[in-house]
Amino acid sequence: MNTKKPILSLVKERIVLLDGAMGSVLIDLGLEPGTPPESWNVTYPEKIQGIHLGYFNAGSDAVLTNTFGGSGMKLAAHKHGNNVEKYNKKAVELAKAICPENCYVAGDMGPSGAFLPPVGKVTVDDFYNNYLEQAGYLADAGIDFFFIETMVDLKEAEAAVKAAKSISNKPIFASITYQLTKRGYFTIMGDTVPECVKTLEKAGANIIGANCTIGSKEMVDLIALISTETKRPILAKPNAGKPILQSGKTVYPTSVKDFTEDISKIIDKGANVVGGCCGANPEYIVSMRKLRGD
Amino acid sequence: MTFSDECKKAILDGNIELAENLARKVVNGKMEVNEAIDSFSLAIREAGDLFEEGEFFLPELMRSAEAMKAAMTIIHPLLQEGKEERFLGKVVIGTIEGDIHDIGKTLVASMLSAEGFEVFDLGADVPVESFIEKAIEVNANLICISALLTTTMVGQKRLIDLLKERGLRDKFKVLIGGAPISKTWVEEIGADGSAENAVSAVKLAKKVLEI
Repeated sequence: MNTKKPILSLVKERIVLLDGAMGSVLIDLGLEPGTPPESWNVTYPEKIQGIHLGYFNAGSDAVLTNTFGGSGMKLAAHKHGNNVEKYNKKAVELAKAICPENCYVAGDMGPSGAFLPPVGKVTVDDFYNNYLEQAGYLADAGIDFFFIETMVDLKEAEAAVKAAKSISNKPIFASITYQLTKRGYFTIMGDTVPECVKTLEKAGANIIGANCTIGSKEMVDLIALISTETKRPILAKPNAGKPILQSGKTVYPTSVKDFTEDISKIIDKGANVVGGCCGANPEYIVSMRKLRGD
Repeated sequence: MTFSDECKKAILDGNIELAENLARKVVNGKMEVNEAIDSFSLAIREAGDLFEEGEFFLPELMRSAEAMKAAMTIIHPLLQEGKEERFLGKVVIGTIEGDIHDIGKTLVASMLSAEGFEVFDLGADVPVESFIEKAIEVNANLICISALLTTTMVGQKRLIDLLKERGLRDKFKVLIGGAPISKTWVEEIGADGSAENAVSAVKLAKKVLEI
């Protein structure tokens, strides 16, 4: 029987290291445009496991299941809407099978790709039901905690947190993606940092933070701002800079060294849980390993 | 409040009903058509500026574009009667095959349509051939191709290559968009341009069509 301590206890003791990117690594491995990454849980399970293992070996305390786009609404856009149960359960199974004894598997849930009016046509109830379904499969399959991330709309994030909370007592990490405008950090829908933090706290998120869109450098001040708004632990998972295409290849410009230095500053500003998003491969995690403080 | 001020209020508030009422003044002959269009255009440009400044976000800009579209839908038939010449052009727009991100593309489509372009939005995950077929069918002036992923950006190149192959490159101006698009990429594939956001996309569309 596994005797590892609850993730929320570990967060109180030291910096918890998450994994790096999944999507950009899959693309490097040959994922074709138009193919939902989650389908690889079934077609190339060994590749998905290889990625998880790479992160655990690099020093990640937890990895995120390959289910970022695994909700019904998102998979339906790829015409894979009938595979929600299959892809999500398989994803958890793959990560759990290679998860070291003292490490964790996080059930990843990303945005639905749909929008509320006036931008789109869906409702908050649609969001809620979308995540209720996915969260149910992830929880049943045995994840250690939920990881709700890259949310562009606070209302969608809130619905996801509430849905996860309604069917499970597992911890919930909730992460918004902010853009840096001339007036500061906002979601593309115009939600402010204080609004996001307060709403997610109230909805029941245990850990609150930010990921994607901006690079590690821009995330330093954002985390400082979040830390003034909440007493709860904070997570940060920035990109390795903004991608550029060089001779047909996607390159993320922030070096391992610069990224690690930024993450160190992000920790100084109050983050307790750190990792990398797009462009951050296991090399980045290896370098960040020393920041765990154990 | 002047007509122009009212237009500004209608567009910036995203008030469709007010925008429609103002547009009807043109239909009823109470307002000169070009003057009305200028007032509306000024207002939507201000919405765009607010977006660029970080004062407006997606919902506000969408509401403004919807109000603008509602007004233009009423005014447009008057233009087609041939009384006035203010035809901006036809645009075929879509997100490239393999890419299902369509929010940026939809925003550009709304802004173009709000400005007075006739827009044919093909949606997301659109095959290269469909862009070209539609552009020929409607005799478009402009093709706009969105790609949010670095992996789907190559579709933008394929489209331009195919236009060249078929001897159609000179028939259409081609603009490309999407988060990872750089100036180098525009030059590398021989597109006519790319804009930072939906607001500058409209400016660019007018520039390349010499309007």
